[in-house]
Amino acid sequence: MNEFMTAFSVSLQSVWNDSGFSAITSGNIIMILVGCVLLYLAFAKEYEPLLLSPIAFGCILANFPKTGFNDEMNVMMAIGFGIKYEIFPPIIFMGVGAMTDFGPMIADPDTMLLGAAAQFGVFIALAGAMLLGFTVQEAACIGIIGGADGPTSIYLTVKMAPHLLGAIAVAAYSYMSLVPLIQPPVMILCTSQKDREIRMPQLRNVTKFERIVFPVLSTIVISLLLPPVASLVGMLMLGNLFRESGVTDRLSDTAQNALINIVTIFLATGTGLTMDADSFLNYKTILIICLGLVAFIGGTAAGVLFGQIMKVATGGRINPLIGSAGVSAVPMAARVSQVVVQKYCPGNFLLMNAMGPNVAGVIGTAVAAGTALAMLQG
Amino acid sequence: MHQPATTNPMIIMVINMTIVFAVLIGLSFMIKLVHMIDPTKKQEKKLEEKPAPRAASVVTPAAPAVDPNLNIAVIAAAVAAYGGDAKIVAIRPVESTGWKNVGRANGVQNTVF
Repeated sequence: MNEFMTAFSVSLQSVWNDSGFSAITSGNIIMILVGCVLLYLAFAKEYEPLLLSPIAFGCILANFPKTGFNDEMNVMMAIGFGIKYEIFPPIIFMGVGAMTDFGPMIADPDTMLLGAAAQFGVFIALAGAMLLGFTVQEAACIGIIGGADGPTSIYLTVKMAPHLLGAIAVAAYSYMSLVPLIQPPVMILCTSQKDREIRMPQLRNVTKFERIVFPVLSTIVISLLLPPVASLVGMLMLGNLFRESGVTDRLSDTAQNALINIVTIFLATGTGLTMDADSFLNYKTILIICLGLVAFIGGTAAGVLFGQIMKVATGGRINPLIGSAGVSAVPMAARVSQVVVQKYCPGNFLLMNAMGPNVAGVIGTAVAAGTALAMLQG
Repeated sequence: MHQPATTNPMIIMVINMTIVFAVLIGLSFMIKLVHMIDPTKKQEKKLEEKPAPRAASVVTPAAPAVDPNLNIAVIAAAVAAYGGDAKIVAIRPVESTGWKNVGRANGVQNTVF
């Protein structure tokens, strides 16, 4: 009986020593709670639930001690490789391309400038981050949050500041879901009632020829100019070609549904897995989240203010409110432009006009990321 | 591995924004050029301008002659069956779908009786 009790006690001790409970730290507990809060935001508040829920669950998983996720080959490590070797962001971009209609941008190419202007937010945050003591590479990754483009943020961060991946991804996706709350006050502040009442002309029809030539041409130009983002831009345009060719419906369907969903699960879970207490629980995370907000506000304001310049330059043809759609966040930023216009001028429809700068913003962010990589990659 | 070209945020902003604007302006010019040389543009215009072919004159079978007084009588009977404070909201011809008609009949019965 005594021998049995000893064996039982030793076994129990062994199970306890091997369990995560014996090694869990207060930091792990805080991060598990953070994961639970993110799950609440995803499910109860519906803040980007498709992305935030796997990120949150990955965060919870990452904070269990002794799981060996980073020690031996397993599914979690394989998911990590998909991020580390930049496999997932370009595949996501292919799906985005298959879902994107470049028609409004091709119909009114002048509005592409608004997509460029909104990138100012990236560099306002970059300057702020450098003032707060981040390295230039870290600052560029933080700034790109203002591009409101999750895959590009992850792509750039993995290349230049992988230790900040969790914080930057969470900030980027959280602010993208908060676009309808962040943008309107800035838009109203930068426009008058008269501006909001400007009615833009209906867009011309875009031929199939133009729709097919655009992705091919833009891939050639951007990839030759900025090879570091060739995989991002190339996959974006490949997805768009599947959509526009009219003869690859099955590929287009897979890219914009099944494939993007599968890769989103892996990318978001893998991002959550980088949120362990050691790398996430520090003052830098709070600074990143604050700077992300600065980047968003700066991008929105720059877009609308450049819209004011374009309004004057075009003799009042451009409604400056479509400038805010220049931050990528497709199509939410364009919808926000429409909602604000509708609120102040019912019956004024410029959703399609706002889609031009909106999709141009995706290209603009990719170009900004490519330039940052070319200039700053250490 | 190489050192960053510069660490001055202002220079980074100026260079980067110049490239972003240059690329997007370049693309917008290319879009305009493609629009100008688009060989399919004329065909599409022609298709738009060409009036839609007139539908061949179809002889619509004349509706079966119904005595208009009969309709009025049916509507009046329905209102009377409903009660004194009835209000006509809409008058629709009864479709021939069997299930719908049975449902309607049941509904009327439930309401009236």
